[in-house]
Amino acid sequence: MNEKRCTSCNAPLAKTGATWFGCPDCGAQVLRCVNCREQSIPYLCPACGFGGP
Amino acid sequence: MIQENEMQIELKEPLVPVEDYLAAGVHIGTQQKSKDMKDFIYRVRNDGLYILDIRRTDERIKTAAKFLNQYNPANILVVTSRQYGQYPAKKYSEMIGAMSMIGRFIPGLLTNQNLNGYIEPEVVLLTDPIGDAQVIREAVQSGIPVVALCDTNNMTSYVDLVIPTNNKGRKALSMVYYLLTKEMLRLRGITTSLTPEDYETDI
Repeated sequence: MNEKRCTSCNAPLAKTGATWFGCPDCGAQVLRCVNCREQSIPYLCPACGFGGP
Repeated sequence: MIQENEMQIELKEPLVPVEDYLAAGVHIGTQQKSKDMKDFIYRVRNDGLYILDIRRTDERIKTAAKFLNQYNPANILVVTSRQYGQYPAKKYSEMIGAMSMIGRFIPGLLTNQNLNGYIEPEVVLLTDPIGDAQVIREAVQSGIPVVALCDTNNMTSYVDLVIPTNNKGRKALSMVYYLLTKEMLRLRGITTSLTPEDYETDI
């Protein structure tokens, strides 16, 4: 089960609105679902602990 | 004019001295604050203006430069509809080799494949999440990460990396785009003789 899940809320990523990018600090993958992006829910990089947005 | 004792802080290895940040007014916010931006606010002045924390701004400019350097410069889209941001954003895009959309953003440029001028950037850099709301809407539909310059009154919905700064002042915008250029070029091993004045226009 390699389903992509949101780094903040662990929800499966929907087809539209979600995004993923390299952590701004260390480059590890950060995934954000559309709800967390809309509500500006903070995320923490799983590798280095960088907090965004 | 810099007010005495406005900000008694020291930065560790700043991109430019604190005085330069203060002279450009990068720290000056608005009389409104949003919940999303409260972590970046240092204090409120007697006249009601919220002051941004320069330490966070400096740190985030470095982080944003590192983040944007992960992408091919040709796939970065710089967008600004704000008058004072147009010249610095254009200069920034020219210096790093990015795409730029200055002035009015034509709706559908990121989503309508039939539109003349349709582009597929990998990341977008905005000057103001309010003025450039259309770009955010299209970036969300396309699943593109959004980096934005946010002032104290901005909401950070759909913004993936916030650069807290005054996004309304001419000098502040010039300074931020200059620092982003300088830091990105430094990370690529290129030294530059540019100054913040090169990013300013008389308009």
